[in-house]
Amino acid sequence: MSLIKKLFGIVWSIMGVGIIPLVIMQAMKEIAAKPSEENWIFWSIVIVVLMPIISFSLITFGIFALKGEYDVLA
Amino acid sequence: MAQNVTNVSQTEEVSSTRRVIAASSVGTLIEWYDFYIFGTLAKIISEQFFPKDNPTAALLATLATFAAGFVIRPFGALFFGRLGDLIGRKYTFLVTLVIMGGSTFAIGLVPGYKTIGFFAPAIVFILRLLQGLALGGEYGGAATYVAEHSPAGQRGFWTSFIQTTATLGLFLALGVILIVRQTLGVETFSDWGWRIPFILSALLVGVSVFIRMKMSESPMFVKMKKEGKTSSNPLAESFKEKDNLKMVLIALLGATAGQGVVWYTGQFYALSFLQNACNVEFVQSNMIISIALLIGTPFFIVFGALSDKIGRKYIMMAGMLIAVISYKPIYQAMYDEAALKTKVEMVDKTTVETKEAVKGTDTITTTVTKKAYEDGTTYKETVKLTVPLDPVKKAELVAADKLKPETKKEVTLPENSYYKMIGFVLIQVIFVTMVYGPIAAFLVEIFPTRIRYTSMSLPYHIGNGVFGGLVPLISTRLVEATRPAPGLPPADPLAGLMYPILIASVSFVIGMLYISNKTNNMDVE
Repeated sequence: MSLIKKLFGIVWSIMGVGIIPLVIMQAMKEIAAKPSEENWIFWSIVIVVLMPIISFSLITFGIFALKGEYDVLA
Repeated sequence: MAQNVTNVSQTEEVSSTRRVIAASSVGTLIEWYDFYIFGTLAKIISEQFFPKDNPTAALLATLATFAAGFVIRPFGALFFGRLGDLIGRKYTFLVTLVIMGGSTFAIGLVPGYKTIGFFAPAIVFILRLLQGLALGGEYGGAATYVAEHSPAGQRGFWTSFIQTTATLGLFLALGVILIVRQTLGVETFSDWGWRIPFILSALLVGVSVFIRMKMSESPMFVKMKKEGKTSSNPLAESFKEKDNLKMVLIALLGATAGQGVVWYTGQFYALSFLQNACNVEFVQSNMIISIALLIGTPFFIVFGALSDKIGRKYIMMAGMLIAVISYKPIYQAMYDEAALKTKVEMVDKTTVETKEAVKGTDTITTTVTKKAYEDGTTYKETVKLTVPLDPVKKAELVAADKLKPETKKEVTLPENSYYKMIGFVLIQVIFVTMVYGPIAAFLVEIFPTRIRYTSMSLPYHIGNGVFGGLVPLISTRLVEATRPAPGLPPADPLAGLMYPILIASVSFVIGMLYISNKTNNMDVE
């Protein structure tokens, strides 16, 4: 079980890092296609608020999991 | 004799716990009420405070303001959480109540965009931020306060009363709005009557502040303060120390993020889906949600109490898993139930009525088409075209392709479909009660008393406020992305479910792998 938790730690970290270029590329694509106010508002909220929270928490959590910090259940 | 003394003491303890629960719950319920009337009246607020040139942009602007209320919540959690751990729970969540009530009351008094222009949305935006800040401080305080009064082994049961308040607050908001709207009529309500639910908040908050003033401080906090064990810097202790940060992250990713999206999908998105995708008429759609909420609410207590017996984890995880698996079939069934394509129209009962009126500098042409179907469904389509009397202005609008009619579609379901819809929403409310009922006890038990208010508030408000609160904005956007052209229906009306399903799935896997089920009867210290 500890090994699975550690291996998943790598998955969470990769997800946390991978989400950054994915979201930014999608935002650039959609804003370039239609540079409307609603597009700007939406993507600003996603990039400024949601993405940093998801990335930071997944990366940090993944590193903790990989180091075995969660071997004893929370 | 000794037995009698013990019995009297136990009775007094239960009675005191009940008073604590009642006083805490009433205040928290009112805070949720204040917070949700804004979201429930999003469409009217967009008309009142944002330019009407582009209704979608206006709605998105309102949703963004709505989202701002959620996004600011974690900051409220940090600010008031710190205060709560430094000076005490009682005074901190008294302050949050006053700020919430004051800002809600003020929203009801702000003049519209037509009167004060850009200041109107700017003021509303600031007041919405204050609401979010206050709510961020309220919940953690109430949950901590109740949990610290509850005996071990019953913490899930007692804190579940606090958990009912979010849903009851929404129910109260829907109820007050429906009553005021029905009493004043649709036009008056849209004109100024929508302000009444906001103004009413002052009265509710006044009563609640009076009740809370009489409450005593949490016994655990008092004891800790006497012993000089309070934290001098709860923020640093909560988030800089690895052992606490670990718990904050597990609480967020393994519990509150999934809980947040299930909560908002089952209640807010369900209402939005009924009104915008199924076109169910305003009163009927609100009644469907209200009845489902009312029937579902006792299950918060059922699952809270059950979590004292079998543990918090499996109930919360089961709720997330069932939600992930069943959202698409449930929403598909809701969509099909209201779809006019599959119904047989009684053509002889169709009526079309056109009226033309001059209002100010415009001519307004309104065409109302009414249709009836064999199963008892009725459909009303109102197309309103506003044309300026001034030919120059008219020509400008035509040239800019802005002379477009506003179309409002309203489906009124027959009794059979109405009850089915209540059933579909009720199933989702049960998921909500499974993930949300035990979560206050779960959060309270993984953090120590000295930093509990701060530590539990942040993951709760990021999970519930940010992940959950953004459900309407992101899901609306995902559905809009499948719309082939403006005015045409979206190709995939269920596309909005992708976001909650994804977040709840990740949360489920993390929760199952990394959270223990051992905390049901532990002592908190």
